[in-house]
Amino acid sequence: MDETAVKVEHLWKTFRIPHERRNTLFENLVGFFRPNSYEAFTVLKDINLEVGRGECIGIIGDNGSGKSTLLKIIAKILRPTSGSVKVCGRMTPFLELGVGFQPDLSVRENIRIYATIMGLPKKVIDERIDDVIRFAGLERFEDAKLKNLSSGMQVRLAFSTAIQTDPDILLVDEVLAVGDMEFQQKCFRVFEDYRNSGVTILFVSHDLNAVRMLCDRTLLLRNGECADFGDTNSIIDKYIYKSDSSSDAEKSSDKERASTRKEIEIADVKFIDKYGNPNENFVAGDPLSVRIFFDAHERVRSPVFGIIFYHEDTYCYGTTTEFKGSDTGVISGMGYVDFIIPRLPFLKGKFEVTVAVTSHDYRTQYDWHDRRYAFNVHNPTRDLGMMLIDGTWSLHRDA
Amino acid sequence: MLLSVSHLRELIGFRDLIIRLAWSDFKLRYKSSALGFFWSLLEPMLMLLVLYVVFTNLMRIQVEHYQLFLLLGIILWNFLDRGTSMSIWGIVGKPSLVQKVYFPRDILVISTCITALMMTALEFIVFVIFMLVFRVMPGWTVIYFPLLLMLELMLITGLSMALSAMNVYFRDVQFIWRVVLQVGFFATPVIYPITIFPEGVRWVVMLNPMAQIITIMRDCVLYSTPPGAASLSYVVLSSATSLLIGYLIFERLEPGFAEMI
Repeated sequence: MDETAVKVEHLWKTFRIPHERRNTLFENLVGFFRPNSYEAFTVLKDINLEVGRGECIGIIGDNGSGKSTLLKIIAKILRPTSGSVKVCGRMTPFLELGVGFQPDLSVRENIRIYATIMGLPKKVIDERIDDVIRFAGLERFEDAKLKNLSSGMQVRLAFSTAIQTDPDILLVDEVLAVGDMEFQQKCFRVFEDYRNSGVTILFVSHDLNAVRMLCDRTLLLRNGECADFGDTNSIIDKYIYKSDSSSDAEKSSDKERASTRKEIEIADVKFIDKYGNPNENFVAGDPLSVRIFFDAHERVRSPVFGIIFYHEDTYCYGTTTEFKGSDTGVISGMGYVDFIIPRLPFLKGKFEVTVAVTSHDYRTQYDWHDRRYAFNVHNPTRDLGMMLIDGTWSLHRDA
Repeated sequence: MLLSVSHLRELIGFRDLIIRLAWSDFKLRYKSSALGFFWSLLEPMLMLLVLYVVFTNLMRIQVEHYQLFLLLGIILWNFLDRGTSMSIWGIVGKPSLVQKVYFPRDILVISTCITALMMTALEFIVFVIFMLVFRVMPGWTVIYFPLLLMLELMLITGLSMALSAMNVYFRDVQFIWRVVLQVGFFATPVIYPITIFPEGVRWVVMLNPMAQIITIMRDCVLYSTPPGAASLSYVVLSSATSLLIGYLIFERLEPGFAEMI
């Protein structure tokens, strides 16, 4: 038996996005003499990947970096523009749960449909259908129509059905993102079981922790290119500390500055560590100051500086100088304001920062830098999660 | 290459899926209506009634067993009408099956055609009841019945392959096809016998494979007349051509399905 499960060689994928979408025959006939111009959008550039049998590979990257496209090409759903994909073994894609569900049919019938789509033979479905219903906890609803089930029940049903497949290669795309915590953990355990039983897994996720726990090696995609491939921990670190992409943001802000004339500009933002030096990496619980450098071209009375912290898509915290009751007075020329955090309340991850400056009544926005700055927080403890909560345990015995 | 032995073998491997999709589609059509299956029978029945009244009393068409003649024509035409109209939506109407999982995409079209076959089978049950009521017994030539039905299925599958694939790229194919079907209904000897045309023009009408299928079927089932070798081979040839061209078009357009839907 070949030891390679998936082999991707020199894979390119370009989407052609027409400037004007012609969806009907009529539009095509009319437009025949006016050739439609296309925007070529290259999503994957020269991807090479070799996955051994039984390996678990994580694929990470920002939105739009081509992760899902890569998975869809491996799953044969999309065709590569050039290059080749070789897959040895039975492959099951988990790109979406509950593909082919019919809301008007009963739970039982839907299990049969979905299981058949996932490639289970009829005999196996007959044997396992009761297990699936029990595992999903839907014994009382087995003859109900699917549309009468809550969406949580539907997801549970879909997942219990999907895990009946026994593939050699499993493609997983963000399946963990749906459902509650308990469901996510259940999913995670199932993937671990799959991995331990020797199934090759390709795992696309934004949940870096899950990738860290599950995957041996990880592929980092950046703008469709293979930025790096190797040991999961070092790749994830590289992703968090995103070394070379900050220069792009710098460039775009230059352009912005040149094109708009503002009363007050945000010239730069620096994160100051406990030694008073600008830094991008911080340890949870340490002091941090966000230093906002401004350049006022005119005399402005009491402008308001604001700051927002984001973690992935979560809006963590936002405040302004006005909320905190500090008046900035009359400002002209250059200078900076500090937002001083004595103890950083974030535990770990990459945090992005939006900085803005507006007039005292918030009516006029002078400048707004949306999530242009970022810092990383490192966890010195064994605690879990994103936030740092100062807490201690205390035990009391009744006797 | 989709029309190859290896692809056929792959399809056979997916037979569970084809049947399951066809069957669930079939069920869905009747699931939420109180009268269930009877709805699908009601439609051709009402049409039969109207056409029968009009054509026997006003047009005075002289055909032996005209009720059965008409019903058989309508059922066979409905098979084509339904099969192709449903299949046009076979790809466009199921985006998650195209974009989120992989199986050979022609399965979606094949299963829809099988759904149409199931619905037609239901109508043939009514046809048998009518034959018993009117005491018409088919002769030995009825053995051609399954063959002709399969040839029509081939013809429909071929058309459906082409139409469903083109509808992904040009959404007005469905409207154009509706018009073609309307014209086809009157250009095909469904409600009238081929003999209303003058001798010299008949061969033009009979170039339409549906005209051949309906005429041969009537001869075999109602009038115990075996088909001529020429017309039967014409049907075989045109069904095979339809399937071939349908698959060629489908194969050419298939790579872009997931992106275009």
